[in-house]
Amino acid sequence: MPDITFVKPSLPRGGALVLLLAEGAALSGLAKAAEEATGGAVSRGLEAAKFKGAKGQSCTLWAPGAGLAKIVAIGLGKADALDTQGAENAGGTALVAVQQERDAVMAADGLTPALAASAAMGARLRSYRFDRYRTTEKDEDKPKLERIAVAASEPTKAKAAFAPMQAIADGVFLTRDLVSEPPNVLTPAEMAERCKALEKLGVEVEIMGPREMKRLGFGALLGVAQGSAQEPRMVIMKWIGAPKGKKQKPLAFIGKGVTFDTGGISIKPAGGMEDMKWDMAGAGTVIGLMAALAGRKAKADVIGMVGLVENMPSATAQRPGDVVKSYSGQTVEVINTDAEGRLVLADVMWYCQEKYDPRFMVDLATLTGAIIIALGHERAGLFSNDDTLATQVKEAGSAVGEKAWRMPLGDAYDKQIKSDIADMKNVGGRPGGSITAAQFIQRFVNGKPWAHLDIAGTAWSSKDAPTVPKGATAYGVRMLDRMVADHYEG
Amino acid sequence: MTKLILLGPAQAQKRHRARSADSALILPVKAGEAPADAALAAAAKAARFTGKVGVALAVPGMHGFTILAGIGNGRAISDWEAGGGAGMAAAAGRAQAVLLAENASSEQAACFAAGALLNAWRFNALRDASKDKDAPPAKVTLAVAKPAEVEAAWARAEAMLRGVRFARDLVAEPGNRLNPASFAERLRGLRDVGLKVEVLNGKRLAALGMGALCAVGGGAEHGPRLVVLGWPGKIKAAPIAFIGKGICFDTGGISIKPAAGMEEMRGDMAGAAAAAGAMLTLALRQSPAPAVAVLALAENALGAASYRPGDILRTHSGKTIEVLDTDAEGRLILADALSYTAQRFRPRAMIDLATLTGSIITALGHQRAGIFGNDEVLTTALMAAGEDVTERLWPMPIDDEHREVLNSDIADLRHCAPAGSGAWGGRFLSDACHAAAFLREFAGSTTWAHLDIAGVEAREEAAPLGPKGPSGFGVRLLDRLVAMRFERDA
Repeated sequence: MPDITFVKPSLPRGGALVLLLAEGAALSGLAKAAEEATGGAVSRGLEAAKFKGAKGQSCTLWAPGAGLAKIVAIGLGKADALDTQGAENAGGTALVAVQQERDAVMAADGLTPALAASAAMGARLRSYRFDRYRTTEKDEDKPKLERIAVAASEPTKAKAAFAPMQAIADGVFLTRDLVSEPPNVLTPAEMAERCKALEKLGVEVEIMGPREMKRLGFGALLGVAQGSAQEPRMVIMKWIGAPKGKKQKPLAFIGKGVTFDTGGISIKPAGGMEDMKWDMAGAGTVIGLMAALAGRKAKADVIGMVGLVENMPSATAQRPGDVVKSYSGQTVEVINTDAEGRLVLADVMWYCQEKYDPRFMVDLATLTGAIIIALGHERAGLFSNDDTLATQVKEAGSAVGEKAWRMPLGDAYDKQIKSDIADMKNVGGRPGGSITAAQFIQRFVNGKPWAHLDIAGTAWSSKDAPTVPKGATAYGVRMLDRMVADHYEG
Repeated sequence: MTKLILLGPAQAQKRHRARSADSALILPVKAGEAPADAALAAAAKAARFTGKVGVALAVPGMHGFTILAGIGNGRAISDWEAGGGAGMAAAAGRAQAVLLAENASSEQAACFAAGALLNAWRFNALRDASKDKDAPPAKVTLAVAKPAEVEAAWARAEAMLRGVRFARDLVAEPGNRLNPASFAERLRGLRDVGLKVEVLNGKRLAALGMGALCAVGGGAEHGPRLVVLGWPGKIKAAPIAFIGKGICFDTGGISIKPAAGMEEMRGDMAGAAAAAGAMLTLALRQSPAPAVAVLALAENALGAASYRPGDILRTHSGKTIEVLDTDAEGRLILADALSYTAQRFRPRAMIDLATLTGSIITALGHQRAGIFGNDEVLTTALMAAGEDVTERLWPMPIDDEHREVLNSDIADLRHCAPAGSGAWGGRFLSDACHAAAFLREFAGSTTWAHLDIAGVEAREEAAPLGPKGPSGFGVRLLDRLVAMRFERDA
């Protein structure tokens, strides 16, 4: 991963130079210096390539002179319309264009310090690679980039603006690592162990194993776990950041962490089952979010809780037809063992409310295929019993490019999960499949404001985006960090 | 068909007493209020009847046979409708029902009766209904304090009722009786109420360039039709336009459907039926709003002349479409109908209704229809109208990804994602959003909304406002929308 530094604008003597250019603007600052040093090669090249600076446009000028290996021009669109996301996307696009050089200078001297920091953030986010299991990759195929110097008109201010972003990027990377890890490595116990890394950021980490959960009566979570040789865990992460005298009830984020989901006895089809390693993305996101909040020393008290299990078919696995007793006391008839995430969340959420009495709860889960059939891969489904909370989540997401779409709840849907012999059943049939899953979870919400993000379509991406390489997206980390920053640190 | 008789309370009571062995007295009861009659109040208490909206209690032996019909707080007209409907359901098997609404406002009384008559609809054209022991009362009397004052409100309600019945009857008709030719013939009958009816077929459609409608309907014995219903109204303004999908029977064509449940595809013309029903209602109540309905009628049959996957069709708009799946035919015929409507009528707003995708059922269940569109004001107005008449909608997104899926290698666009594409072998495609993105291309710049009514066009189980089977969804919604938004000058 390249180092990112902030420097005063000066022309590098080699490597790559990135020019961030607004549409229709004349070359100025470092761009103008490059133009002069190369004897007009910049304007000649850009004109020949019909580069106008439109948003998303890019153009590479090879060996333009002045000792540079290349100049990469990235279009920003209209200067007065440039926003944080535009700057991030430009930075991300730039990163890909210079990855094969050792050194790069990104000329952000035409941007405000905040937008220069955002461009650096974009480059940082795009630089993520999960390559720890590659042993034979050829050197020429690996990215070479070691340093990006962001040339800013006020480098100190840009650097200060970048510091919290870097902490958020670290959280995003932690989530992407966890989500990318294979399921034979990332078992519930291993995932819990990795949460301990947050202690050095000042997060209190408490881990519970099956014996404690059994004593507490986590019948729903343990029912899912009982078919696996891997023991389940629940991890509680506490970040105490609210200033003394401004204490309020903590915020709570809860994640589904099924480290591998075979479906259990209701086994899934083979095609694509390998993707079920990321059925712990909700939990992975909560862990990364806690790292982000602690890393930037958020001024709020936050609880992160994850339920970690593996869902396996075996001689000891739970069966369709089993009735389990959840920690809340409510009983559940398990109709489909592949609707296991909601069972895990049920116990963790009830415990969260009993123990911590939070101001609100937001849960994240790769919960249903139905949400993909409903919305596709651009937006997560957002369900909530509280319009204010839902709006906060949705708007924070829009601000960072993690979009959500509100979906309905209501008694008309809740009746689909009535059971003949227990308080509820764990599936409500195909119609409205994500809604009935949310209704199930809502039965474990005890009067608290609550929002549920069904991230089955957004946790993993099959194609590159400017700031998100394909693979684990860490969808939710930036959204919820932003929501905390916007509304709960005052 | 059940008709309503409007009488004063004394005469109505007399009617009831005259045939008390076979008559039911239906009383609206508000939540938390006991009936004035002490014996009925005691019965309500004993049966734990609370006046909950849409819940009825039969009390045999009191004033003959009395039914208490819950109307909740009675504030919304839908409370009165649901109460009347539930009361009527409890009167099943009796020859006569007398609704006592002497303390209600004119509108409330009319809605109470309308709910009852919506409940009483049956499709008896093809069976011997005399053997039905649970037949709804054939004689219905509404008792009000001043019958003359209720007449106007009842006339409006009756216009709505006739529109709904017309739509339900059409949806109930089997494919061997209702084909594009006979459907068009029945629509010609609407001339009797003052609607202008144009039927375009065969050569006319080809001459207009409706390559999509001609292709979809080309495999059937009875070729496709485009039926235009016009209502002049009184306001000098462009009309509001309703566009309906009218697939009289949908085999899926060459991409044939599985056998199980295929019989339900006789209802794949419910969008066209709803649009026609709404036009009938507007005409009967002499709406001042000019309106037009464009109904695309075709049978998607499997035959030697059927269109094929891989075919490229030239639509009325001039755009070409690559066909991937002949079972995604609804959006094809709507494409022609939408661009034709936009071009010929330049409508104020254009609303299409279609039983379009299974995906919308997975997304929203049978409780709500999906609404897509290009105009927030129209979407909001439709949603509000839907709440008023309990035909509920939920907004759904059209994102870039949904449009990108429609890029074709050899035509202007394709009409759906390839089968098996996307993650997990294509099990999770957001087809409802893809279809909406497709239709948007043909709506152009016209203010437009698309209602995907698959899943709500027929009731899974009996409800206060109708028995199991065709619901007529859309008629009441459109009638309400026009009344709320389109009866003032533009």
